[in-house]
Amino acid sequence: MLFSSITFIYYFLPILLIIYFSISSKFKNLILLIFSLLFYFLGEPKYIIVLILSCIVNYFLSRLIYKGKNSKVYLLIGIIYNISSLLIFKYTDFFIYNINNLFKINIPFLYIVMPIGISFYTFQILAYIIDVYNKKHKPADSLLTFMTYVCLFPQLVAGPIVRYSDIKEQIIKREQSFTKVSEGIKRFVIGLSKKVLLANVLGELSKSIIEETLVASWIRPLLYTLQIYFDFSGYSDMAIGLGLILGFRFLENFNYPLIASSITDFWRRWHISLSSWFKDYVYIPLGGSKKGTLKLVRNIFIVWSLTGFWHGASWNFVIWGLYFALLLIIEKLFLKKYLDRTKIIKYIYTLLIVVISFLIFNETDLSNLIYNLKNMFSLSIPFIGKESIYYLKSNCILLLVSFISSTPLLKTIVNKVKETKIKKLINILEPVIYILLLILNTAFLIDGSFNPFLYFRF
Amino acid sequence: MKDKIIVFSFMIYIILFSLLHIIINDNEISFEERRNLSTFPKFEFTSKFITNLEDYFLDQFPFRNRFRSVKANFNYNILLKLDNNIYLKDNYIFKSIYPTNKKSIDNFKKNVIKIKNMFPESNNFYLMIIPDKNYYLEDKNFLKIDYEYIFNSLKELNIQTINIKDILSLSDYYETDTHWKQENLDKVIKKMSTVLNFNYQMFNYTKVIYNNFYGVYYGESAINRSPEIITYLTNNFIDNLEVKYLENKKLNNIYNKEKLTSFDSYEVFLDGASSFIEIKNNMIKNNKELIIFRDSFASSLIPLLTPYYSKITVIDNRYISSEYFFKYLDYENNDILFIYSTLIMNDSYSLKG
Repeated sequence: MLFSSITFIYYFLPILLIIYFSISSKFKNLILLIFSLLFYFLGEPKYIIVLILSCIVNYFLSRLIYKGKNSKVYLLIGIIYNISSLLIFKYTDFFIYNINNLFKINIPFLYIVMPIGISFYTFQILAYIIDVYNKKHKPADSLLTFMTYVCLFPQLVAGPIVRYSDIKEQIIKREQSFTKVSEGIKRFVIGLSKKVLLANVLGELSKSIIEETLVASWIRPLLYTLQIYFDFSGYSDMAIGLGLILGFRFLENFNYPLIASSITDFWRRWHISLSSWFKDYVYIPLGGSKKGTLKLVRNIFIVWSLTGFWHGASWNFVIWGLYFALLLIIEKLFLKKYLDRTKIIKYIYTLLIVVISFLIFNETDLSNLIYNLKNMFSLSIPFIGKESIYYLKSNCILLLVSFISSTPLLKTIVNKVKETKIKKLINILEPVIYILLLILNTAFLIDGSFNPFLYFRF
Repeated sequence: MKDKIIVFSFMIYIILFSLLHIIINDNEISFEERRNLSTFPKFEFTSKFITNLEDYFLDQFPFRNRFRSVKANFNYNILLKLDNNIYLKDNYIFKSIYPTNKKSIDNFKKNVIKIKNMFPESNNFYLMIIPDKNYYLEDKNFLKIDYEYIFNSLKELNIQTINIKDILSLSDYYETDTHWKQENLDKVIKKMSTVLNFNYQMFNYTKVIYNNFYGVYYGESAINRSPEIITYLTNNFIDNLEVKYLENKKLNNIYNKEKLTSFDSYEVFLDGASSFIEIKNNMIKNNKELIIFRDSFASSLIPLLTPYYSKITVIDNRYISSEYFFKYLDYENNDILFIYSTLIMNDSYSLKG
C-alpha cells in the first residue's frame, strides 16, 4: 500500500488512529504490529511469511548472540541468513544473466519477485544483530517488541533505515502530545505534497520532452533529479510524520541535498540513514580513512560499489556507485580544499555531478546512457526546440516552486515570519493551509495515474 | 491551541470523507468520463487486490468530479500551465496528440495497402484524410503533430486523394468534441463529387437538434461549461434507407436517436461503434456501389453520401478484421474509399487490417 493512496489516507490511517488512540498504552504496540502486518500483507500478501520468518530467526539469534557463548558464530549465521535472503530475492536473475553472458550458457531465469522493502528491513536487522554483538544495546525484550520495531509500517518498505538504538526507549514508552501529533500531520502533508504535487508531475514532464536538443538533454536528467529527490524525501517526510503521529521520533533522512557544496557534503544530506549505515557497518570496520591513502581508496571503492549495488540488480547502479567513489576520492585527495575556497562554483559543480549521476541511475540500458551523455556535451545537435520551449513556458511556476522547495528558503522565510507580529495570522492560517494542501493532493490523486514511489524497487 | 486545531481538523476531514463514501451510494457510471466506474473488488491473495481497491476508492470518492475540477483549475489558474492535458482556447477544447508517431503512420499505411491488395484492380481507390481539429488551431504555443509529414507520407500509397484540409476550418468542429459537424459537411460532399465523379446536388434537409451535447473533451477537461448543440440532418429520402448493422440487428435507420441522450451523443450517427453496415438506397438505380473503410469521423458524413449510391458498405476495421468482412463484399468495379482522421493515423494500432 502506498502512503500516497486514497486507501491509506482515508481508510487505513483513520481506522488505525481511532483504535490506536482509544486503547491503553500497553496494547499500542500490539495494535501497531497488527496494522503494520496488514499494511505489508495488503501490498505483498505472499511475502509476509519471509518478513515474519526473518523477524523470528533474527530475534532468537540476537538473544543467542547476547548470551555470549559462541556469539561470533551466531552473528555469522545471522549475517549469512540476512545477506543470502537479500541476494536470493533481489539478485538471483541478475547473477544468472551475467553468468549466462560470461560463460555462454543458458541457465533459465527464476523470475523471483522481490519482497517489497527487503533491502531496507534486511539492513535494519543486520545493524540490530551487529549492535547486539558489539553490546551497543541489549536484544529486544520480547518478540512483540522486536517485530514492532522491524515491521513498524511507516519505515518498513522504503526507510528511513531506523536503528534500534535510536528508538528502543520509544518502543517501550513514548510520549504522546498534541504538539507531536500536529507536527506529524504537518510533516505527512508536506511529504505527500512533495510526492503528489511535485515528484509525479515532474516525472510526467521529464517523459514528455523527447526532442534531441542540448537543452532537452540537460532538462530531462535535471527533472529526474528533482523528481527522485521529491519522491524519496517526500516518502521520508511521510514516514517521519507518521512516526510522530504514533509517538516516534525518527532521525532525518534528507537535509536539502541539492544545495550541497561538494559530493562529500551531498552524501551527508542524501539518504542519510543509508550512507551512515554503510559508514558504520562497512567503512569504519574496514579502517575508514585512518590507515593510509591506499586503504582509504580501497574502502571508498568497496563502500560505494556496495551502495550502488544495494540500489538494484543492474550494472548502471554499480557504475553509479563507482562514479561517486571516484569523485569522493578526488575530493578527499585534493579537490575539496580548492572547492571550499569558491563561493558559487562549488554549488554548480555539485549540482552538475549529481544531475549526471541520476542520468546514470535512471538508465539501465548502457548504450542509451552513453548516447544521452554524449548529447549533453554535443555541439552538433540543435540548442533548443519547440518542445522544450513549450514545456518550460507551461511549467515555469511549477519549476520555480520545485527549485525553491529543494532549498531551505521557504522554511527560513516561514520561521522568520513566525518571529514577527503577524505570527498570529500564521497560526490561524496554518491549519487552513494544511487542509487545503490535503484537498489539493486528493484532487491530484483522483485525477492522476498510478505512481508508485521510485525507491520501492530498491 | 493551534496544534489541537490542526489535529482535529485533519482527523475530522479524513473521517468525514471516508464516512461520506460509506453513506453515499456508489455510482455505476461516470457521464463525464464516459466509462463504468469500479465496483468493490473481490478479495484475492495477490497485490492485485489492493490495486483494485485503490481503483474503487478513486472512482467512488465523494465529489469525484469536483476534485477533478479543483486539479484542472489549480493547473490553469495557479500554476498557469498552458494545458492540463487539455488545451483551452476561445471556448474550444483541444487535446494534444503530440508527438508525431511515425511508426504508427507506417502501420496505418501497411493496413491500407493490405486491404487495397485484397481487391482486384478493377476497383477505384480513394483516400480522404480528415485533419483533427488541432490542425486548425492558430496558436504558436500549442504543440502539434507534423501534419505535412503525414500528408506527404501518405502520398506513397499512390491512392487518389481527396484533399479537404483547405476547405475546412475550426468552426466545422464541435467545441467540446473531437468530431466535425454534420451540418457543415456539404462542402466536403461537393469536393468528393469532383473526385468520385457523382453529380453533386443541394438537398433540403430537416435539422434535428439536441442542445445538451457534451463532447468527449468536456469530460476530460474537468472544467465547467455549458453544453453545445449537436445536429443531424434528415429527410424523407434518408428515412427510407435500408440499413443493416452487423451488431445491432434491431436498428434499421442510419441514425440511432436513442444515442442522443447517452454518454456520447455523436453515436447518433451510424449507431457509434459499428463494425459493418450495409446501406441500400432503393430509390437510386445507378448500381453504383461504394465501400468505405473508416473511423468515427465518417459516421456523420456517410448519411450525406447516400443520395449518390445505390449501396454503401461501411467497415470500421478497428472492430472487425479483413478476413471476416471480406466474405460480405462484392468486390468488382466499386469505389473504395478510405476515410480516416489524423487521430487514427497517429495512433493506428487499433486497426485490425
